[in-house]
Amino acid sequence: MALICFWTLVVFYALAIFADLISPYSYKDEDRDFSYCPPTAVEFMDHGQWVQPFVYGRALTFDSTHRRVYVIDQAQKYPMRFFKGGRLFTVDAPGRVYLWGADARGRDLFSRIWYGARISLSIGLIGVAISFILGLLIGGIAGYYGGWVDGALMRVCEMFMMIPGFYLMLALRAAVPENFNSVQIYFSVVVILALIGWASLARIIRGMALSLRERDYVLAAKTLGVPDIVIILKHILPQTISYSMATLMLTVSSYILAEAGLSVVGLGIQDPIPSWGNLLSDAMGIVPVIFAPWILLPGLFIFLAVMCFNVVGDALRDAFDPMFNEGAS
Amino acid sequence: MKPILSVNNLTVAVGAKALVNNVSFDVPQGKITAIAGGSGSGKTTIGLSILRLLPFALGIKWGSITFEGKNLLEEPSENMRQIRGARIGMVFQEPLSAFDPLFTIGQQLDEVLAAHTGLSQQERHKKIIDTLSEVELPSPQRVYGSYPHQLSGGMRQRAMVAQAMVGGPSLIIADEPTSSLDITLQVKIMELFGRIKKKGISILLISHDLGMIAHLADEVIILRQGEVVEKGMVSQVIGQPQHEYTRELVEAFQ
Repeated sequence: MALICFWTLVVFYALAIFADLISPYSYKDEDRDFSYCPPTAVEFMDHGQWVQPFVYGRALTFDSTHRRVYVIDQAQKYPMRFFKGGRLFTVDAPGRVYLWGADARGRDLFSRIWYGARISLSIGLIGVAISFILGLLIGGIAGYYGGWVDGALMRVCEMFMMIPGFYLMLALRAAVPENFNSVQIYFSVVVILALIGWASLARIIRGMALSLRERDYVLAAKTLGVPDIVIILKHILPQTISYSMATLMLTVSSYILAEAGLSVVGLGIQDPIPSWGNLLSDAMGIVPVIFAPWILLPGLFIFLAVMCFNVVGDALRDAFDPMFNEGAS
Repeated sequence: MKPILSVNNLTVAVGAKALVNNVSFDVPQGKITAIAGGSGSGKTTIGLSILRLLPFALGIKWGSITFEGKNLLEEPSENMRQIRGARIGMVFQEPLSAFDPLFTIGQQLDEVLAAHTGLSQQERHKKIIDTLSEVELPSPQRVYGSYPHQLSGGMRQRAMVAQAMVGGPSLIIADEPTSSLDITLQVKIMELFGRIKKKGISILLISHDLGMIAHLADEVIILRQGEVVEKGMVSQVIGQPQHEYTRELVEAFQ
């Protein structure tokens, strides 16, 4: 189970990295004639004969209630072009291939999901990396020195933990200037997530450091005049790695969710740059969901990614836990 | 000759209770001085006081500790750190727990040199190998790359002596250095300390083992419940004990 999830994540990340290659369109390539166009079927047979894969053209018509209906026009055939223009597959204009349907502006959801994966999956990792460095260092210093250093740092931690996470996130987001470009917004979201996450980790690491500093080899290192920072980095923090590796995985998933939360309410990554969160914000209205259910797909990917991180995190924790291993054997 | 270390009227207390009470003694240059006494007599506390590494709850109430002409109790903490490892080395009772299990012996000795010297990587490596062979470890190259658990108890103890020596200290504090070893290894480690003494390094030996002290030490301080009951040359104190407690200790070892 954990292995399946691990490989699922690897595939997600690989597809996100190669989004330029695998997606037939750019994330901002729109065609208003194909608003909410349903998923396109790729045909392999023509008149009972195997041929090069192709898609049929579509014609936009309106039914009696003025709803958009896309009629398949079998007279138009657009053969798939492979490795054309640096993309794995695409079709010649004016044909469009929408593997997973199109959004309101006729942008290809399949392409946008993989471009969005770049944002959504990397934001978790970078955010976690920053908050882990903060959490480990601050927790390690607080636990190692104890006394007033510990007291001061822990009060700061508590200030961050006291405020409910989502509201703190909104408050911090409000502090970010509105005229930021997309890269700046991306990094401000990362920093916001990191600022929220470090405190709880710091508290736990501090507890572990408090007990680890009583180890003989820490005293031995002190008697040898090894500088405190070296002792913290080399003799205290590595001992907490089993705990922190598992927590790291679980935290990545919560960051992916937090980014999605921010983006769904429109405060995260801004259109046209896709992220799973703002793709899902298109599905906020009931009408699009009824007539174009495929726009819920980003939600499925958020669910899968979060679940996989959680399962892998749990498995890591169990693997690192000697008590659990004894019980199992 | 001036003593390398002299402790005067040292009193260490937790709250109002004195663990070490008004203790004074000298460690002469190039000699082995032993502190003997039963459990809880304050031997280890004295050792840690010299390095100013007492647990938080314990405080040095008064007294002075003079090492190479400096009062250690008045040194700034950064100077103290420079003295630890470089001027004073320490050997612990249990070498398995005194080494970090995640690093090789070589890496942990290297840490000492990196903290105190500006030597290059190759120079440090060479110095560590030299020190490991000085403590008579067979195949020092192999020990350098070994993790603590891969060595036998005796080898680990030698490696720890090497760690205390690698910074080139003039004083080594050895806290029960042989208690975790079997008797034949104890003799080997004792011989090693004898040879270290010949190199001109003074040793403060903390032990309850009067047999070892009688063999190895030049002078001895007998401690009971934080107070000095008797001190002097080993031959005198153990040969003709004056105090009743010393007599008890000596009898227990015969």
